[in-house]
Amino acid sequence: MFEWSEEQLMIKEAVAKFVESEIQPKRDELEHGDLPPYDVIRTLARTFGIDALGRESFKRRIEREKKKEDVAGESEGDPFLGSPKEGGDGGAAAMTLIPIIELSKVCPGIVTAMGVSVGLAAGTIMSKGTIAQKERWGLDLLTFDKIGAWAITEPNSGSDALGGMNSTAKRDGDEYILNGNKTFITNGPYADTIVFYAKLDDGSGTNPRNRKVLTFILDKGMEGLVQSKPFRKMGLHSSPTGELFLSDVRVGKDRLLGETEDETGGTGRDSAKDNFVTERAGVAAMSLGVIEECLRLSVEYAKSRLLWEKPIGDFQLIQLKLAKMEVARLNVQNLVFRHIEMQKAGRRLTLAEASAMKLYSAQAASEVAMEAVQLFGGNGYMSEYRVEQLARDAKVFQIYAGTDEIQVTHIARDLLKE
Amino acid sequence: MNVVVCVKQIPDPATPGEMDSQTNTLKRDGKLIMDDSDSYGVEMGLQLAEQAGGGEVTLVSMAQDGETSGLRTALAMGAAKAILVSDPALKGSDALSTAKALSKAISRANPDLILMATESTDGYTGTTPVQVAELLGLPSVTFAKKITVDGSSIKVERQTEAGYDEVTCPLPAVVTVTAGVVEPRYPNFKGIMDAKKKPVEELTVSDLGLDVSEVGSSGSRQEVFEIVAADARQAGEKVVDEGEAHQKVIEFFEQLKLI
Repeated sequence: MFEWSEEQLMIKEAVAKFVESEIQPKRDELEHGDLPPYDVIRTLARTFGIDALGRESFKRRIEREKKKEDVAGESEGDPFLGSPKEGGDGGAAAMTLIPIIELSKVCPGIVTAMGVSVGLAAGTIMSKGTIAQKERWGLDLLTFDKIGAWAITEPNSGSDALGGMNSTAKRDGDEYILNGNKTFITNGPYADTIVFYAKLDDGSGTNPRNRKVLTFILDKGMEGLVQSKPFRKMGLHSSPTGELFLSDVRVGKDRLLGETEDETGGTGRDSAKDNFVTERAGVAAMSLGVIEECLRLSVEYAKSRLLWEKPIGDFQLIQLKLAKMEVARLNVQNLVFRHIEMQKAGRRLTLAEASAMKLYSAQAASEVAMEAVQLFGGNGYMSEYRVEQLARDAKVFQIYAGTDEIQVTHIARDLLKE
Repeated sequence: MNVVVCVKQIPDPATPGEMDSQTNTLKRDGKLIMDDSDSYGVEMGLQLAEQAGGGEVTLVSMAQDGETSGLRTALAMGAAKAILVSDPALKGSDALSTAKALSKAISRANPDLILMATESTDGYTGTTPVQVAELLGLPSVTFAKKITVDGSSIKVERQTEAGYDEVTCPLPAVVTVTAGVVEPRYPNFKGIMDAKKKPVEELTVSDLGLDVSEVGSSGSRQEVFEIVAADARQAGEKVVDEGEAHQKVIEFFEQLKLI
């Protein structure tokens, strides 16, 4: 049976204290004042030495790669610390997931902004880039000195991101010319480094759906690159989301991920799919944070809110809501713990497993948060009581990192395969 | 600069404490945490050692059952090692018998400076630090809000009701620090992971050359005869504002001599 170790509980307590004293007081500004989350993220990274750990693990990894040791089996999937380790207490996974859980109790948007920058943008570069590309872009992202975006979704291709992609990369001598629009890009408005996916247009007449997907690394301020202002959204206000417009952006081969067009090297489609697993496990941990907080707030409210001179917790309809929330909490916690145990055993989730975990957790978080609003009644509809924010934030768990419907297809494909 | 910081491990104040009906003292058999008021001493000790460019912080604590949870927090913040006096015979210690055990343990670390909180959050006697100083034959300065090391002495800004006194004191010395004077650092992830590997020397009363009759309930000169629940707080006065409420507020402040 997995339980948080003494050290993991200390990390949990330390992050919870940071959230209470450093993030909670800024919640209104982050939610309604257009305060970008990056200073808070950098303070978090410095406070807990996440930046220093990133620097150290980067140094070790690059030294090994330069010595041409085999690091192919390693993944840089963990947003905070890099590769999971076989054996031990599942420490690397837990060290990543614990802050995600604790931050999500108050500000899930910060997790999204952080996770995309370090997990997806840095993760892609560290997993598939050349040593020179890792040194040029990876390190600054791992330390949060720079913020990254991961640009795959387009206005006409969300769930069909790879097949329906319209962004193009045309060869021009030793260079490429990039064109296209991306949307719903987390950190898009502010990102310093952008991992950008585009279809290779080699003029051969290949059906666009089957063209190679290439990945490029772009910098803020490049000629022809426009980063939009943040969108107005239903929730997750502390995570800036925007559009990217590329118009004849000229890049050298040094910006082509892995400096190769060869998809079998793991760039393009594989690189995107690798990230799906990491992302989906992360969303389950975010869901757990939202569920734990909604349940805590609901229990507190059920004990203190009096109606007909009795605490509302005495009423069975309220008890039913609390009981269902507890069932959801146990189930999602078990899924998160299972993921940690698998990492401990040196195994990664399959795409279908990660999809099942994400599908269940996201739906549970959304339902629990909406039920918390209902339990709080009129107060639940008021932002002061916080559950309405968590309900709005949790809804996106069913949409981003693959919609519920896409998770179903990934699970079913695995079940029905020959 | 080697600094000893005394750290008290106490029942978590966030959970309701339970009293032992036999001894009329607080039950301490659950998980203990570092007294928050000691986190300022730990932070100040770490800063002084860092500023001196060398040396380390050693924690000294006392527990009846080998409890180290609270010490791990301070080790995670950056203290190098800890000495824990752990012995069932310590149960029921009063301030003086605590000071006896602590002072013996402190002298083993041979520090340049000993930092303690002005008082603990569970006992609030505030007498242990000066008793430790007396037993060690060292000068003591209480209520420090700032400490500057100057060669073989320290300059201390000592908080008073009217402001602060500037005190110079030769080292080694015992100094108590007030809460809020420094911002205790969060233990970082690496610190937390390394804390378990840091040495905690566990000593019994006899290891310190003390007789069990000198400590714990048998060595204590204090006895708690009775404990009674505090009176429930009285409800405040409600004033309905009919245009004159501000007068009531002024009268209330005048009564408290605030204006």
